[in-house]
Amino acid sequence: MSLRRALLPTLIRAAVIVVMLFPIYWLVLTSLKPGALVQTSPPVFSTTELTLSSFDELLARKPVVAFFLNSTIVAFGSTVIAVVFGSMAAFVLSKTFLALRLRRAILLWVLLTRIFPPVVLVIPYFTILRDLGLVDTHVGLILTHVGYTLPLVIWLMLGFFAELPNELDRAAVLDGCSLWRRFWRISMPLVLPGLAVAAIFAFIFSWNEYLFASILTAETSQTLPVAMSSFVGQLQQQWGPMSALGVLMLIPVAVLALAAQRYIVQGLTFGAVKE
Amino acid sequence: MIGHLRVRRSTRLGRPAAPRDQWPVRRPLTLRRERALSVAMLVPAVALLIGTSVFPIVSSLRSSLFETNPNIPGLEPRFVGIENYTRLFEDPVFLDSLRFTAIFVAIAVTLEIVLGLAVGVLISRRTRMTTLARVALLIPFALAPIAAGILWKTLFSSTWGPINWLLGTIGLPRQNFLGSSSQALPSLLAVEVWQQMPAVAFIIAAGVVSLPTDLFRAAQADGASAWQTFRRITLPLLRPVIFVVLVLRVMDAFKTYDIIVALTNGGPAQSTESITFLIAKEGFRYFHTGYAAAMSWVLLVIIMIVSIPLIRGLERAQRAGGADL
Repeated sequence: MSLRRALLPTLIRAAVIVVMLFPIYWLVLTSLKPGALVQTSPPVFSTTELTLSSFDELLARKPVVAFFLNSTIVAFGSTVIAVVFGSMAAFVLSKTFLALRLRRAILLWVLLTRIFPPVVLVIPYFTILRDLGLVDTHVGLILTHVGYTLPLVIWLMLGFFAELPNELDRAAVLDGCSLWRRFWRISMPLVLPGLAVAAIFAFIFSWNEYLFASILTAETSQTLPVAMSSFVGQLQQQWGPMSALGVLMLIPVAVLALAAQRYIVQGLTFGAVKE
Repeated sequence: MIGHLRVRRSTRLGRPAAPRDQWPVRRPLTLRRERALSVAMLVPAVALLIGTSVFPIVSSLRSSLFETNPNIPGLEPRFVGIENYTRLFEDPVFLDSLRFTAIFVAIAVTLEIVLGLAVGVLISRRTRMTTLARVALLIPFALAPIAAGILWKTLFSSTWGPINWLLGTIGLPRQNFLGSSSQALPSLLAVEVWQQMPAVAFIIAAGVVSLPTDLFRAAQADGASAWQTFRRITLPLLRPVIFVVLVLRVMDAFKTYDIIVALTNGGPAQSTESITFLIAKEGFRYFHTGYAAAMSWVLLVIIMIVSIPLIRGLERAQRAGGADL
């Protein structure tokens, strides 16, 4: 009985690890296999003949460096804007200078914007950006990503600011410290870990975002997810280079997600559930 | 860090208020100035939100009342009132996509919650193995959905895919997963659950950790089985967390788009076109922007109805968590 009690959860955990990781293993393996071993029946599950030729082929076929640069610019740009303006707004909303009703209204609205399905927004975004001459520019895509991540940042930062002791703020007021200085010099340094988490969430979203990018970018600002999807419709499937691109896309966000692991729950639930 | 500041504050309070090097007092602190500053700090975020949500939403509502047909050059959008909406509910393609979306969301979220609950409880205690399991759960979750879809396309391949190889070794016939209208939905569900179940598991695990331990100790002392403990203690106490996760997942499952583009592109024979997919197709392949806008408003209303309990629930949870609302 006790053996079964100890063994069963362990077996299930092992099964979870295998099921979750096998596709990732397959992706990495396919990217490193020599071309002749990619599409075989039965499939080759392990090989020592590893090569980077798929990566070479990918670089030869697609301007991967440019895509990488575009993705980095867009993800960094939208993250910085969302985090700076979002934490400013969250700080004010966590204080009591504004009427309670106004603060609640703003917060509800912020939450509602997160509920909008992106596809509802993408047609108007296209029209607006076209009128502004911002289709296929980094700025245009950055603005649409900020629209999606700003509400998340505001709600997350609100939770982090609310955790700071009230006396801290009161003492600074007694010292004649203005709202901006209390925000920038006192509260911000204390919520830096929270800020990092909000930033990581915003970055991962922007890095992986496909729908907006596929419609609002073309040649000059195409990001990695769009480049990835351009493999889909091809008659002659390039599985090796495609997997190589997938690996390159995954590495930065996997590292960031692992770094933010402790706070992932807060980010997922808008701060409603804490770990 | 906070303690350090507290000490400094108390020493400072003992002294008379005098300008100091660290925090020079430039202007006197007045409520009016504070208010003005707080408004100024809100303005950029509010302006961005108006530009990225209110304005597009209003413009989408407006365009849903117009008929556009770019195939006829020079034709101005024509005001048609609610005709786009009435047409929608007679359009079998739209009704099919509504049905597909409902089925997809219902099954995907049920599977994610059930599996996520089991996995979440199993990884809630910190051991070396659960740490590894958390990493294993996190990586698929971080992968871009479009890349996940393409990766699974290789796994599903009917000629050289590992899944068909596995079926072969246990004596089952090969399946044409993505090309068959009965297998395409389960295939999409597998990818969706693989990517999104970890989110549920992490949230459930966090909920389990925050439960009072004495209840579990008492259950153990009374000789309760693992299942009894789960059924009678863990599950009832987790209800608020499960609720939050349920509505969050429903909201997001409605938005599923990337994996459909990567895996089936709506096929075979339009059998896997979700509303989201159909809106993007109508709007950007056929440029029926008015019609697509009307569709997106129907989707918006559906999601709103589903999300109202979430907003209430999240607000309650935030208040309980001590947020100053």
